[in-house]
Amino acid sequence: MIFAALFAPDGSPIAGNLRHIPAGLVADGEVHSVSLTSTAKHSINQPILAAARRLTDGKMLVFGRGIRVLTSLENIVEHALMLGAIPAIGLVMAAGLWLSRQAQWRIKAVNQSIERIMEGDVHERLPVEHIADDFDHLANGVNRMLAEIESLLAEVQGVGDNIAHDLRTPLARVRALLERGRDKAKTKEDLIAVTDRAIVGLDQAQSIITALLRIGEIESGQRRSGFGDVDLIEMVQEAGELYGPMAEAKQIRFAVQSDPTPLVHGDRDLLIEAIANLLDNAIKFTPSGGAVSFEVMGGAEGPVIRISDTGPGIPPEERAAVMRRFYRIDKSRHIHGSGLGLSIVLAIIKLHDFDIIVGDAQPGCSFELRCYATPRSEIEPVRIRTLKRLMPPITRWIRHRGDETDLGERKGRPVTPGQAD
Amino acid sequence: MNFDGNTNTPVVNEDISEHLFPTSRARILLIEDDPEIAEEVTNELVDRAYVVEHVATGPQGGEEARRGRYDLLIIDLLLPGCDGFSIIQDLRRDGIQMPVLVVSALGAVNDRVRGLKVGGDDYVTKPFALPELVARVEALLRRPLDTRATTLRVGPLELDLIERVAKREGRTIELSKSEFKLLEYFMRRPDRVVTRDMLLEDVWHYRFLPQTNLVDVHIGRLRRKIDGPNEEPLLLSVRGMGFYFREPN
Repeated sequence: MIFAALFAPDGSPIAGNLRHIPAGLVADGEVHSVSLTSTAKHSINQPILAAARRLTDGKMLVFGRGIRVLTSLENIVEHALMLGAIPAIGLVMAAGLWLSRQAQWRIKAVNQSIERIMEGDVHERLPVEHIADDFDHLANGVNRMLAEIESLLAEVQGVGDNIAHDLRTPLARVRALLERGRDKAKTKEDLIAVTDRAIVGLDQAQSIITALLRIGEIESGQRRSGFGDVDLIEMVQEAGELYGPMAEAKQIRFAVQSDPTPLVHGDRDLLIEAIANLLDNAIKFTPSGGAVSFEVMGGAEGPVIRISDTGPGIPPEERAAVMRRFYRIDKSRHIHGSGLGLSIVLAIIKLHDFDIIVGDAQPGCSFELRCYATPRSEIEPVRIRTLKRLMPPITRWIRHRGDETDLGERKGRPVTPGQAD
Repeated sequence: MNFDGNTNTPVVNEDISEHLFPTSRARILLIEDDPEIAEEVTNELVDRAYVVEHVATGPQGGEEARRGRYDLLIIDLLLPGCDGFSIIQDLRRDGIQMPVLVVSALGAVNDRVRGLKVGGDDYVTKPFALPELVARVEALLRRPLDTRATTLRVGPLELDLIERVAKREGRTIELSKSEFKLLEYFMRRPDRVVTRDMLLEDVWHYRFLPQTNLVDVHIGRLRRKIDGPNEEPLLLSVRGMGFYFREPN
């Protein structure tokens, strides 16, 4: 409500909707908060904001505005807040409390699972609520990693057993040799002959350990630091020059052929090591009068290095198994070696993200090393780093379990030619 | 002298140490914490007339290396109290230049590279064969003949480093690339035992050991070229050790 009035110098109203000058209103032109008791028509009591000024002829002009609406608005807002906001805050706090409790409970459950895993229960998995939230995504990811670790562990254990077995054989032989030598040797020469044979046995045991360490080193993924552009043609020439004389000494025809191929991204030293192992095998298993061919050619996806021989070959059902550590085809048991050459090759191939394919050379066996000009994924090293962080508890676990468990028949490394993973 | 079945390389069986290890009486400091290995190494080296001082801990070793006048240091990388890397580093920083042979169970390439980087001159991985260690000690004590001549001459054999052909008493011997490298390596180290590992590392630059008798095959081929049927053999095998190129008296 707006008030405006003009008063005579004696205070009597001349015009406007006010009957009196509001009590306490000073005519200084400033706004004052005063109380109004009546208007021109009604007797009321309400607070107003008013300003007054005395005109030059002594009359007084008053303007004012009621502020009751504002006060009531203030009251309404206050009430609304009391009714709405406080319960809402309460609700929010309760919800928050509940949610954080929920999260805490899940973290606790996860922690308990982790505790159990740390204590050595590799079959334990993180709990999944199947509500597809972030927790579930995380838990699923970790569970996949745990599954991978579990299978690696089983593999490590299987390998451990194989190591024990393959080391025990030469060591037992050496021991028997030395024992017999001590008791039976009649001359110094006898003793020297026995010692020489014992040293050969120990050397073989040592070559197994060296090869295993080498595989571990390659698999740890650190060797990616040695990656660069590799000229396969030049490399094949060099390996050919290295192994040519060996084939010749065994009366094996040795043909090296190289087609122009692009550079590949890899570690030259490791690739040569892989090729040397394959050539080693090819020459070792090919009888005199046979042939070994060694070629590099361009393939659809990248260069292919192919090594084939006219040896006994590898039966199709054993092709996946030859990459397994220590695997020996029965026919080759008598041939000397650590039995780990192909495992080293496989480790190198995996590091490079290349493929190796075991085939039939009719007769004989062929190994195809398929290189890819650019690496197909860079995920591998990250995964390996994660695994490396997890290795100390795992090795503790192995030490802890190693003596008491025997998993019996284990499935081997799930390697099939072409999907070496 | 008889013949090795594999390679037809003459094998030396008589005691050749006097002939092959003329740097004997060199003073060697051995820093090794394993008492048994230390004893074996010491005995082997003393048998070959080296003077060996053995200390078992790193700090003692560092002190002794500074105090005594040694021609060679053999050091284990994994020592109680401190690691071998830092000892070598400290010695090199203090300007001590004696050759260092690093011995370690750490066979990984990175450790090997690190060992050589901090100032080691050669690296042997445990477990090692004693002859391997001795051959490397000898190699370090006698650096290869570093001649700027374009022709190497040892006894009746001449190697033209530019034309890459060898000559023996007027007979010209054509060599393949790897045969040339191999022969050059031997002729720069006459009368010194060279092991298979050393050849693989230094001639072919391989850090891995082929499982077959690869080195022997190459040596056999080279020998058939340089040693004619009625000539005195120059390239000899030393049983259990490796090979050496003999300089006739």
